[in-house]
Amino acid sequence: MIGAAFGVVLARAQAGDEAAFARLFRDVQPGLLRYLRVITPEAEDVASDTWLQVVTGLTGFQGQEEAFRAWLFTIARHRAADAGRSRARRPAVPFAVSETAELPPAPDTADLALDAISARAMIALIATLPRDQAEVVMLRVVAGLEVADVAKMVGKSPGAVRVTAHRALRRLAGHLERAGVTP
Amino acid sequence: MSAPDASPHEMPGFPTPSRPGGEHDEPLLDMIFDGRAIPPDAPQEMHDLERMLAALAGPAEPGELAGEAAARAAFVRLASPASISPAASWPAARQAARRPVSRREPRRRPARRRAGRAAALCAAAAVLVSTAAAYAGVLPEPIQQMAHVTVGAPAPRHHGSSASAGSGSRRDAPGPAGPRTGRSAAAAWSPGRAHGAPPRDEPARIPARPAPRCKPGARGYQGHPGATPGWILPGPQPIVASCPGDPGKAPHAPSASPSAGGR
Repeated sequence: MIGAAFGVVLARAQAGDEAAFARLFRDVQPGLLRYLRVITPEAEDVASDTWLQVVTGLTGFQGQEEAFRAWLFTIARHRAADAGRSRARRPAVPFAVSETAELPPAPDTADLALDAISARAMIALIATLPRDQAEVVMLRVVAGLEVADVAKMVGKSPGAVRVTAHRALRRLAGHLERAGVTP
Repeated sequence: MSAPDASPHEMPGFPTPSRPGGEHDEPLLDMIFDGRAIPPDAPQEMHDLERMLAALAGPAEPGELAGEAAARAAFVRLASPASISPAASWPAARQAARRPVSRREPRRRPARRRAGRAAALCAAAAVLVSTAAAYAGVLPEPIQQMAHVTVGAPAPRHHGSSASAGSGSRRDAPGPAGPRTGRSAAAAWSPGRAHGAPPRDEPARIPARPAPRCKPGARGYQGHPGATPGWILPGPQPIVASCPGDPGKAPHAPSASPSAGGR
């Protein structure tokens, strides 16, 4: 999170300052990629499309940092849905090695025990959750969005989002316990 | 719904198996989501969750900023004011502006190509409409004649040759609502007319037929269908003309108007 300087950074980026835009990019891109890796196999392509659309609409954006993140992750979610539709229209390729290679492999006990604080291992663990739970966790934790913003994005009530997030965390705790990470 | 995360409110009639923490862990879960420190006496699993979610929101790992160069190039090309300033006319700036940023970037069609496509569409539409009008026979006489010669459209009508309506009569001129005969434009065209056959509403051009000799009490004249032009009779039914002395039978003469609209 950029914090209090976000307004200045955004204004400079809107004025065409490339360094300010790079700061925005470095701040958001890791979380964006992690979120996309959970919801789509084409995370890098969708992230590229997302930034293209952000660059196009950046001068018209008004709001604070949280609104900026909500806007960017909403774009990413829509582009991921587009990519999913495009993937569904394509004829099925036997032995789709490319898609399975993009998905994070499910972590085993050794991974979680040895690499317990790796973001990659956490992404793999969260990817084992049901889709709605995984998405809510990523939007709340990685994107840093409030419950109300997540509810608007996913089309649920704030209460439903909160319940979904709690279920996801309980399930994650169960995974950790079974994996032996938690004694 | 037998999973341990189904709440008792969703399944009121079923006993909920005991789970560690139960519904009492919600404040702790909210604290983890909000990034606040949980109490030290919280269960160990909550501490592990907090630590792992903090790692999930941690700084960039190697490779996660690999797309920065492409994003900056897109920013320079699309959003920077420098790209629309006079400095953009420099060759290097032009090269940078033309460089593709992403293989998925939508291509923009030049306006010239779009204009050419629109002109071609208009021309095709004009040709279609003209051809339809030629086959309907509603074009002016010289143009209709030209269409008759070139594309085989019906020949233009010569209004002056109509004997029944009188030559030069304004009633023969087709009005703005279409031909006066009452037939549709499509019905006005028949294959026989392409070979010089007269239109159906010109009784003066029908070859004169000798009046049948009627004997008293005879049924009537039965003409052979082959003796009449094919465009008068739609089918091979014989023409039955009753004798004037035959009461109760309306005369059906070939010279009568064959169409109901020929009034």
